Formats: sequence, C-alpha cells, structure tokens
Amino acid sequence: MTDPTRTLLVGPFNRVEGDLEIRLEVEDGQVRAAYANSPLFRGFERMLVGKDPRDAMTITPRICGICSISQSAAAAAALGSLTGAHPAPQGALAAAILHGVENLADHVTHFNLFFMPDFARPAYAGRDWHDTAVARFTAAQGSAIRATVEARAKLFHIVGLLGGKWPHTLAIQPAGVTRAPSARDRQRIRLSLAGFRRHLEDVLFGAPIEAFAGLKSLDALMGWSTGDAGLFLRIAADLELDGLGRGPGRYLSFGAYPLAEGRAMAEGIWAEGRHQPLDTAAITEDLTHAWMLGRAAHPAHGVTEPDMEMTEPAYSWCKAPRLGGRTMEVGALARAVVDGHPLALDLAARGGGVLARIAGRLLEIARTQVLLEEWAAALDPGAPFMADMPPIRDGSGEGLVEAARGALGHWIRVEGGRIAGYQIVAPTTWNFSPRDAEGTPGPVEAALVGAPVRPDEDTPLAVQHIVRSFDPCMVCTVH
Amino acid sequence: MKPRETFYDVMRRQGITRRSFMKYCSLTASALGLGPAFVPKIAHAMETKPRTPVIWLHGLECTCCSESFIRSAHPLVKDVVLSMISLDYDDTLMAAAGHAAERALEETIEQYRGNYILAVEGNPPLNEDGMFCITGGKPFVEKLRHAAKDAKAIISWGACASYGCVQAAYPNPTQATPVHKVITDKPIIKVPGCPPIAEVMTGVITYMLTFDRLPELDRQGRPAMFYGQRIHDKCYRRPHFDAGQFVEAWDDENARKGYCLYKMGCKGPTTYNACSTIRWNEGVSFPIQSGHGCIGCSEDGFWDQGSFYDRVTDLTQFGVESNADKIGMTAAAGVGGAVALHAAVSALKAAQRKTQNDVSEEA
Repeated sequence: MTDPTRTLLVGPFNRVEGDLEIRLEVEDGQVRAAYANSPLFRGFERMLVGKDPRDAMTITPRICGICSISQSAAAAAALGSLTGAHPAPQGALAAAILHGVENLADHVTHFNLFFMPDFARPAYAGRDWHDTAVARFTAAQGSAIRATVEARAKLFHIVGLLGGKWPHTLAIQPAGVTRAPSARDRQRIRLSLAGFRRHLEDVLFGAPIEAFAGLKSLDALMGWSTGDAGLFLRIAADLELDGLGRGPGRYLSFGAYPLAEGRAMAEGIWAEGRHQPLDTAAITEDLTHAWMLGRAAHPAHGVTEPDMEMTEPAYSWCKAPRLGGRTMEVGALARAVVDGHPLALDLAARGGGVLARIAGRLLEIARTQVLLEEWAAALDPGAPFMADMPPIRDGSGEGLVEAARGALGHWIRVEGGRIAGYQIVAPTTWNFSPRDAEGTPGPVEAALVGAPVRPDEDTPLAVQHIVRSFDPCMVCTVH
Repeated sequence: MKPRETFYDVMRRQGITRRSFMKYCSLTASALGLGPAFVPKIAHAMETKPRTPVIWLHGLECTCCSESFIRSAHPLVKDVVLSMISLDYDDTLMAAAGHAAERALEETIEQYRGNYILAVEGNPPLNEDGMFCITGGKPFVEKLRHAAKDAKAIISWGACASYGCVQAAYPNPTQATPVHKVITDKPIIKVPGCPPIAEVMTGVITYMLTFDRLPELDRQGRPAMFYGQRIHDKCYRRPHFDAGQFVEAWDDENARKGYCLYKMGCKGPTTYNACSTIRWNEGVSFPIQSGHGCIGCSEDGFWDQGSFYDRVTDLTQFGVESNADKIGMTAAAGVGGAVALHAAVSALKAAQRKTQNDVSEEA
C-alpha cells in the first residue's frame, strides 16, 4: 500500500494532440485536486504583430495540423468582421462543407484513435467486452482503426477538391472561397459523402445514421447496441462512465457553420438548466495562474507576454478564459445542448460527464454527415463563390467559429494597415484552463476531482478517460 | 539477440498477398523515379533485410506531418510503413502513456542502438533553456539529443524540423530551431513542406528502408527526386503564365478559366516541391488547383518573405529542365560575391554524399 495521500504527475499523455501534463493530489483513492499544465508555447500571437492582416489566414492554421480549417475559418471571419465583407452565399456553403468535413473527421479520429484504445488495455482483461475492444481498438493496429484511417482519407478527397490540400487548406477567404466547384466536383463530393455514410452505417453505428441522430433520451441511447457505438455504450454502462468526469454544467457555443440564412447550429450558452443569450463582451482571459504577464482582459485588448521567470503560483502556459467570470465547457456536446437537441439536453440535465461527451460527439458525427449531404446537394456551380472584398482598413474584428473541440475565437486589431494585436481563444483553452484569480479550477481540473485512483496506478485509467473525453488539442490551447 | 523480422515477414503476417506485395514494389519504384529493373531489387531487399525500426518524435509542431502521412494513397504504404514497420515509438499514435511511454522509448533505443532511423516532426525551441516545449518533465531538445545519439540517420519531417516554419517567424519568441542546427553529427535528410506530401514522406522512408541509405539530396539536403523541380515547372496553369493570362481577382472570369495565379501572390515560380505532379489527398488536387496561390511552404524562410498575397518579384526565368542546383549555379555566376558561397554549398553537397556512403557502410 502506498501513502493514502500522494501527488501524481501524469504525462506525457500521448494520443492527444500536443503535450499535456496533469498534477494530481490523491487522497483516499480519489483525486482531491488537479492542475492541468500545457507545456508547449510557440507565441503565434506575437509573430502576427506587424504582418499583413491577410497573412493571418495562412499563419494561424499552422497552429494546429488537425483543426487547421477551423483556424483558417476563424481568421477569415475576423477579417470579415473588420472589413464588413459578406461571403457570397455559395462561398459560405463551400466553406461550411470544408469545415464540416474537418470536424467530422476529427470526431471519428478521436473516437477510434484517441479514446477507444484505452479500453483495450490489459487492466480491463476479463471484462466481457475486452476481447472485442482489443481486436477493434488496439492502438495503431486494431481493425476499427485501420478502417477509420482508410475511410477518413477518402473523406478528405472533398477537401482536396474544394480546398486543394489538407492539412493547412488555403481556400477560405472573408468573402467566400477561391475555388468555384464544377458540376463534376459536386458529383465527386456527393460520391465521397455516400462512401463515408456507408462507413458510418456499416462500422460506427451499425444502422442508419438518421436513427442515431433521432435518439431523444439517455435511456434510448443506452438501448443502442449496434456498431462500435454500441460497443462503447456497453462499456460505458459496465464502467459507469456517465457519472465520471462531470463538467461545470455550463455550456458555450459560438454557433457552427455561418451560412447566408444563419448559423446551422445555434449560438448561445446553456447554464442553470436553461438557454441564455451569448455576450462575447463578457469574455475575459485571466492570467493569475498562467506564465503570462499582464492583467485579465477581453481578448480584443489582451496581450501575450510570456513570463520567462515562470513565477508561482502560475503552473501553465494556458490563459484562463471566463465568461462573466465563470468557467464554461465547450465541444460537440455543448454545441448540441445549445442547439437544443433533445438527447443532448437530457445528457446535460443529468450532469454531463464522460459518457455525455462521447455521446455528444457521436451524435454530431451523425448530424454533420446529414448536413454535409444537404449542403453538397445545394452547391450551384454557376453561382459566384466569392463576393467583392472590401479593402483592409484600420480597426478591430471578431471571428467566431466552432471547431471540432468547441468554440474558437480570433480577435484582430489593425493599425496602419498592419496587425497591431491578435488574440486567439481556442476550445481547449476553455476546457483545460488553469485556475483564475478566485482560485476556481478550469473545467477539466474540476471534472477530475473525485476520479478513482487505485493504489497501484501511476497513470490512472479514470483520469485518462476523463481527460480524453474532452478531446484536448494542446497545440491550439496555448499556440 | 533473435534475428529481426524482414519487411516481407511483417507484410505476410498482416495477410498481404504476394501479388499485392509485388504491386507495392513496382509502385514504390515508380514513385521514386526508378525504372522497372529496380522492382525485383526492391522486392529482394524487402524479403531479405531486417526491418528498420523508426522512432518518431514530436517537438514544437502542429502534428500536420503525421496527419499528412496517414493519408498516403496506397493502402499498403499505410499498413506497412505506418503501423507495421516504422512506428516503434510514436507520441501521437501509440498505446502507452506516461512512464510506460518513456520506457518504451528507452527500450527501443537500447534494442536497436545504432540501427534505427529517427524521424523528427517539429523542432526544439532553445530560448530559456528549452522550457517552451517540455515533454516528460524535460525540455524536448534533451529528448531529441538523447534519441539522436544512437540513431543511424535522421529524417527532418516538414518545414518545422527542416527550417523552423511559422513558429520561427519574427520575432521567433521561443527561438524555434531546426534539427540540423542542434544535431550536427548525423546524416540528416530534410523533407520540407507544411506539411510534406504523404507520398513524398512514404517514398523517402521506403527508399531508406529498402536501400539502407539516404536518397540523393540537393544542396539544401532535400531528396532531389521530389524537390528537384519548381511547382511552376509542372503546373497545369503554366501555359497561361507563358501566355500572359492571369487571374486578377478571386473567382473572376479568368479564375473560372483556370488562368495563372501569379498576380494573386502564387509562389509556385520559386518553390521546389512535387505538389503539381504528385498532388494532395491521394492525388486529388493541390492548392493552385483550388484557385489559391502556392505559399512556398517547402522553402526556407517562407513565413517571413512579405505577404503571402504579394507578387513574387525575384522570379528567375529558367526553363523547366533547370533544377535548384543549376539555378543556384547560374545565379552564383551572375553575382560575383556569391561564387564563394556556392563553392561552400557544393562542398556541403559532397559532404552529404559522403554521409550517405557512410550510412550504407555502417549497415
């Protein structure tokens, strides 16, 4: 037996995007307090200063190799807000297709390559689902992983057609997209989507995706038995993942996919059990526990000045974003809750947690596939895909999008035709933020409290499940 | 020590048929620009040589290289190179976490001392003793040095490892530094691009695994077979450039006609890469085909060359038969002061050839 009170340093995590280290204080076999450290800093916000504002669309995507379209969409939106550019309706549609494909691919990757392999670990040997989990999800060789990598590569043909290349696609601009797809492109996009639907229905859901998208309650969800989703739900029931890793119970979404007729998924927040409007002016980034100099500020006025002394009590490069002073959880679950999907609302009402986050992602996979098919059918090759672009002028702009992992905001300030300030608040900055001036822990830090830790564990499984349920993207977090 | 498996053993174990294997060999040969005579050579090498282990480390980066890599066109390439052969240790894809992962790295280094290839994605930031990129409690630069010490050769994946990439953009807050400036005593092959094309990555790694040496490099240390020509040279819009037909604004009439993007800031005329021939996402397209200019992501310093939307002004008019070395030579002849520089560059190239030979002798 080890000491009932001990400190554990968990990391590197691997199978997360970027580096992450979490310090745990463990007491009586449970996590008493958690401290999330994002140990990677590059300083993108500082490099952007002095550059041509348009270059943000090329530089910011390189923050992250798996959500680069989200970053490029946010940069284009910030420039659009600065200049008053309105995308051509078909351009917005093509941009939504590009972005939707990336989000869809990210969710599928997370489920198969990052999250599920933990259930193939020897520690779960003897569970009645373990042999299946090993065959399907052993890291880098399970049969589900191979099928996913293959299907995902084919899905990305769509980004190839509309955006030239992925990762680091260049096509999205403030007034539309650079590529006007031909009728032949549209047909190929629809064929690629049909292929991906087959993959989802054969492998992930084992049934029509509309059936999964139509689930209305946790009880109905737990009755789903087919496909790898069914395997996950069996595991979740056995390991009681619904009670594990509860978040703050407050959800934020900027609203996904801005189209001519409005955002395809609603913007807003959900807190105290109800919908509330979103006021982005209430966002601040607190620096008391980040290795950053300066005071808490709205991102339009924020600075990024690393503290080379790494002075305590700071313990992370990550700033602590708060909305009206409170922590918010962001991600696929948050999006569906704010959008008012009955299943997501039921999951949120019951307290959220690991099961709810994974279910929220599966739900969004199904819904995004359907949306993409509608959008592809609505492409009109004869219409303009780029509207007139007003000239860049001095002032400020706010670009709000929804990346796979949640709300992503870019705030740009231009003076003398050059970037004078640029601040980025990424989804994982919200979820993996350190403590703030009040000492309130960030969402993942709070979610880890109470997680069981067995005496022989130094990389506790419950902690892995909770951390990965948020699908952290650490390179975006600090950037 | 028990004999190591050959590549072919690994493939057989994965249930890959002989026919499929031979197809892979011929595809590899053609991807590498080798004639049909090399197909049996590749096959023979893969049947008889022990598989070469690869350790894949991630420093200051965005993982776009890995993302590109796992989308290679030929499924065998993915299966064989990615999951079966190469990744004895990989941060992003492996099962282990925490101390178990650190142990796996140590064991791989120990077991294959002097025989493994170290693939590096991203680079080490050197400012403030490397504290901007900490993995396992230590600065990444230490992990890199440690893993490099017993490596046979190093692959610098992407613009980050090769040149620094955007994170080294002015003022380079973390002093992000390319691998070859930190590791100076090992043969290093640079595979730049942000990210590099998947087929270029698998092509390079397959060549190294098959022939047990570095492919021929250009004077910047890039494999000549993939970085020997400008994107402009093989661009399908090149005839419009020659005819003076240009896109003047996004999605204008000329854009719909597929005219040249030079005036929109395309860096194709000064960028050496295979985008216009191999293309992206399993050969579907490449940035110029999407109506956006090339940003020159496989060139050193592309991130600090003025705006990506500014027109290239230092365009040299050479025929398609020129390569980076020839242009370097001509430019050097034209500028007196640069001659010494070019001599130094040539010496470097000779040194690289020597290191290639060293690698094959050691094996």
